[in-house]
Amino acid sequence: MGVTILLSYPVPENKTGPQTVDLLIKRIGALGAVQSGQFLVDCETFSSGPTMGGPPRTVHVLHNSEQPAAVFALLESPGPPPKTVPLVADGLFDLLMLKMSSIYASKKQTRMEARGTRFEIADFLVKIGTVTMSSNFKGVLVEVEYRPCFIAGNCWELMREFMQSFLGSVVQNTPPPYFQVHNRLNDVYQPLDTIQQYLDHFASYRKVAGL
Amino acid sequence: MNVELDALNEALKAVSSLRSCVGNFFLSLSQGVRSEHGEDHRETKYILELQDLVAEISSNMRKVEQTCSSIPLPPDGQINLGNTAHLAHETTQDRQALYSELVGSYKWTDKLHEISNITFGFLAQNVMKRSYNSYLNSSGMNAKRRRLTPSCHNVPISSVETVITAIDRQYQDMNMNVYRPHPSNCHNLQIQVSLGRILRAVISFRGMMIEWVKVKAYNEEFQTDNGQLGQLDLWTNSRHHVFRKITENANAAMLHFYSPTLPDLAVRSFMTWLHSFRSLFTDTCRRCGNHLLCAMPPTWRDFRTLEAFHEDCKP
Repeated sequence: MGVTILLSYPVPENKTGPQTVDLLIKRIGALGAVQSGQFLVDCETFSSGPTMGGPPRTVHVLHNSEQPAAVFALLESPGPPPKTVPLVADGLFDLLMLKMSSIYASKKQTRMEARGTRFEIADFLVKIGTVTMSSNFKGVLVEVEYRPCFIAGNCWELMREFMQSFLGSVVQNTPPPYFQVHNRLNDVYQPLDTIQQYLDHFASYRKVAGL
Repeated sequence: MNVELDALNEALKAVSSLRSCVGNFFLSLSQGVRSEHGEDHRETKYILELQDLVAEISSNMRKVEQTCSSIPLPPDGQINLGNTAHLAHETTQDRQALYSELVGSYKWTDKLHEISNITFGFLAQNVMKRSYNSYLNSSGMNAKRRRLTPSCHNVPISSVETVITAIDRQYQDMNMNVYRPHPSNCHNLQIQVSLGRILRAVISFRGMMIEWVKVKAYNEEFQTDNGQLGQLDLWTNSRHHVFRKITENANAAMLHFYSPTLPDLAVRSFMTWLHSFRSLFTDTCRRCGNHLLCAMPPTWRDFRTLEAFHEDCKP
């Protein structure tokens, strides 16, 4: 897959979420984009019970409709130093998590989901979706993928120009913090990078909600 | 109506019997005097036979004339074409919908004419032929005196490999792997080029002449799953618009750089040109200064200056 950048589009005060999504869809349609199906990214969070001993650990299990056969699991290790252990497995991993319910319990009320419509325009893939946490609207996420390029550092300027053409000043002039913090600008882009970006955004939506 | 049809049938029958007896006449004329005519007076017998046949022809001829005159003529001398006649009965132009179609086809033909004229002029200017002779003729030199047969397709493979290795060393970020798909064929060679982490290309050589170029993304494979080892996939297009466009441009470049007298220079120039795509995603268009036009990066590189242009911005 190509370099993907995920942006949170702030909902204007006098508008609702669906209205914002409609506005973005109208703008991308004006650029000549063609609708090509739907997408869904979901995230379920499990935390360890007292049987594990030590500080509680958190596992985020994510699915992305772009990689339908894969399950992404990110284990937050409290450290020190705190780090995240990523794991990519196939669909059976979901059943395994159910078996481990005595150790890792699912926090149902924090299940997050981003779903919406996919658009294609030349080699760009644009996904405009709404984020919900246990069916409460949280925000609007825009995912832009440039499929021919695999090095974020090479095509950031090009993608910035594309994103600014329909998102306006929401797009910063510097690459998103994810690429700078993890120093991923000059590495080959992986599907896991998209998942990490989704997790970062989901985490920030949760913080706003105070959970 | 029925009477008409009967008369027509009879007339047709008469015509066919006339044709058959004319055929008989010519048959016996071509065979001449035969053994059936016996020994005595064979010539007179033969002439009598011919006279009989001629009489038959003339009686059939009369029959044809009679039956023809008995066929009633269609009124006003017009021939009835069945339901098609009703086509002309609709007088309103709007309901006929013929006029708009006529205008459409007229426009189409006019456009075709115009475009073919432009194409002809363009092709006459740009010699795309690879034969040296046509080059000489077009440049007005004496073709007879300086006729050189192009031999760049006939260069031994070892010297092609030497040139490729030299080019490979020249560029740090461009790797080349040489494949020989048909080891018995001493002139065919394929090389796979990886340009940084931007693109991959496969180039097929015949001797020192570039035959075929295909450009794909960095993660797209040229190795075929079911093919033999060392067999590259020369045909499948890239999944991405950008690389399909670059493939088109690379084929144009290959023809542009082709030189029958200095084949290694042609290969070198082509490789230099291809190397300029290392900044495919970072270059801005020389003319409009933007990265994107119609959601595509600048895919055109000037052959001489290697400056980047969008497809629609190129000079």
